[in-house]
Amino acid sequence: MAEKERLVAGAGGIPRAEMWRGSDATTLARIRREARKALRKPQFWFGLAVLVPSLIWYGIFSFGPILQAFPMAFRYYKIVDPAHSPWVGLDNFRFVLGDQLLRISAKNTVTWAVLAFTLMLPLSLFISVCLANVARGRNLYQAIIFLPVVVSLVAVSLLFRMVLDPEVGQVNRLLAMLSLPQPRWLSDTKTALLTCVLIGTWKGLGFHVVILTAGILNIPTELYDAAQVDGVNEWQRFRHITLPLLGHTLLLITVLLAIGCLQEFTAPFVLTEGGPGTATYTYNMFIYKEAFQQMRFGIATAAALLQFAVILVITLLQLKLLRPQWSY
Amino acid sequence: MELASARQRRHRQPLGRTLAQIAPHIPLILCCCSSIVPFLWMLMASFRNYKELVTSRSFFPQVWTLKNYQDIITRVNFPVAFKNSVIVAISVTVVMVLTSSALGFVFAKYRFWGKEQLFTILLSTMMVPFAVVLVPLYLTVGKLGLINQLGGIIVTGFWSTFGVFMMRQFMETIPTEIIDAARIDGAGEPRIFFTIVIPMASAPMAALATFGFMDNWDSFLWPLVVLNSPNKQTIPLIIAGLRSLFWTRYELWAAGSMLSVVPIMAVYAFASKYFIRGIAMSGLKA
Repeated sequence: MAEKERLVAGAGGIPRAEMWRGSDATTLARIRREARKALRKPQFWFGLAVLVPSLIWYGIFSFGPILQAFPMAFRYYKIVDPAHSPWVGLDNFRFVLGDQLLRISAKNTVTWAVLAFTLMLPLSLFISVCLANVARGRNLYQAIIFLPVVVSLVAVSLLFRMVLDPEVGQVNRLLAMLSLPQPRWLSDTKTALLTCVLIGTWKGLGFHVVILTAGILNIPTELYDAAQVDGVNEWQRFRHITLPLLGHTLLLITVLLAIGCLQEFTAPFVLTEGGPGTATYTYNMFIYKEAFQQMRFGIATAAALLQFAVILVITLLQLKLLRPQWSY
Repeated sequence: MELASARQRRHRQPLGRTLAQIAPHIPLILCCCSSIVPFLWMLMASFRNYKELVTSRSFFPQVWTLKNYQDIITRVNFPVAFKNSVIVAISVTVVMVLTSSALGFVFAKYRFWGKEQLFTILLSTMMVPFAVVLVPLYLTVGKLGLINQLGGIIVTGFWSTFGVFMMRQFMETIPTEIIDAARIDGAGEPRIFFTIVIPMASAPMAALATFGFMDNWDSFLWPLVVLNSPNKQTIPLIIAGLRSLFWTRYELWAAGSMLSVVPIMAVYAFASKYFIRGIAMSGLKA
């Protein structure tokens, strides 16, 4: 068989199988090999055209900065003459760990995360169970509950500063009309952090509800039917079917929530600027201040690497401890 | 499961059945009210004058005024910030969706040496908090001469690891047979990608585009670092600046916030389906 007959033009150089009916095994194997090559050849160029620019971008804007962060944390970074920044070993880390403001901001950030968990998880679970149980209007409810997620955090922060103003804010006026106590919300050292977390919960609830509802609706209905036959009540159904089978979704949510809370910046920055005093000063605000107000790049990066280590440990712990045993 | 339980109870206790059906609606309605009412307060505040805002107890303004909006637009450079935000959000979203789909397609359907390892390395960058790269990225952007340029926040958004992950998840569900059939018919890879894969992936691409738009429209920390001069700033920076510019002038804050919220709400009104489906999808697949 001539070489040019084997390759049929117009079909991307792919040999036609019927031409080879009755051929011996080695010929068939060769055809198969060539067919595979012909099918994969254009992929090489397209793949290259996609991968090369992607890798260049990742090299410059992702891998590069991540790798640069490590030596930077061990230097006294000179902005005017970066090439001659002296190596200071662990001094940056020592400075960071000894800093009073850092301790306060770390404590605030952890408190923020704990409060956010205790508010967000039960509330979003409860709302999603309700959502999964309504026969009508689920999409409408979901669309409305999701609305705060869409709106920018800066606008939401300004909105709540107005609404929660102790004297002229709408919330306290409403409370006054009902003759209820009127807290000073963001202006009181004791309530400021909790108020920030409440606002964060208000903004983030829809996101968690949508993920959890999708998870609940994904649980096979046969399990609930079986439970029905066994005569279980609503609570048992939730406790022994919904909750264990929602394990993977809950794990995802706890991981995302922890990562998000430990990096809180915009809300406290716009809501309170960290105040009153340092009541809502978060860890990322400390990093921002060190980097772009004090211009101490080395110290800021050292603080950021510490944060990275903590987040990594917490995420790995969550993945290890909370990994669900059940699946469907 | 609710249908089954409802059917069983129908004969015995019609009242209990109705209660069980109504009960879950009550917390949902409360929850919806709490999502909407603050926005209504803000909307109403944006139409009041300062004196009335401080003293009035009614829900609706007694005197409706558009002066707050006028002030915001003329005194705060709002139109420029709006233009900047539109440029950033749209250019980043378009490029990011294209790069994510192309990379997602390559990672899902191509076989090459070190593919899984490369994908794992890409995904691992998602673990690194933004604060770690904040300073090095700032210096990199500085070296490219993009500090205080819109380009500085546009170019850093061209690729999105989350987007690649999401699109790969979807592309894996496209049958390889369809792609191979097109290859046998003589279609080149770019043609397959643009005329077969992209139309099939339009739903997740729309979801990703809505995320991308939302994220970039609201982005705060990175623009705060990169953009300094007033005529380069985006809407969130301008809005945050209202705090110090008009101290406790809540009616102006409200007008400014409303102006920043309206475009995103308009997008949401048309695409809420994609937002919600996209979020739900990313949760199920992870």
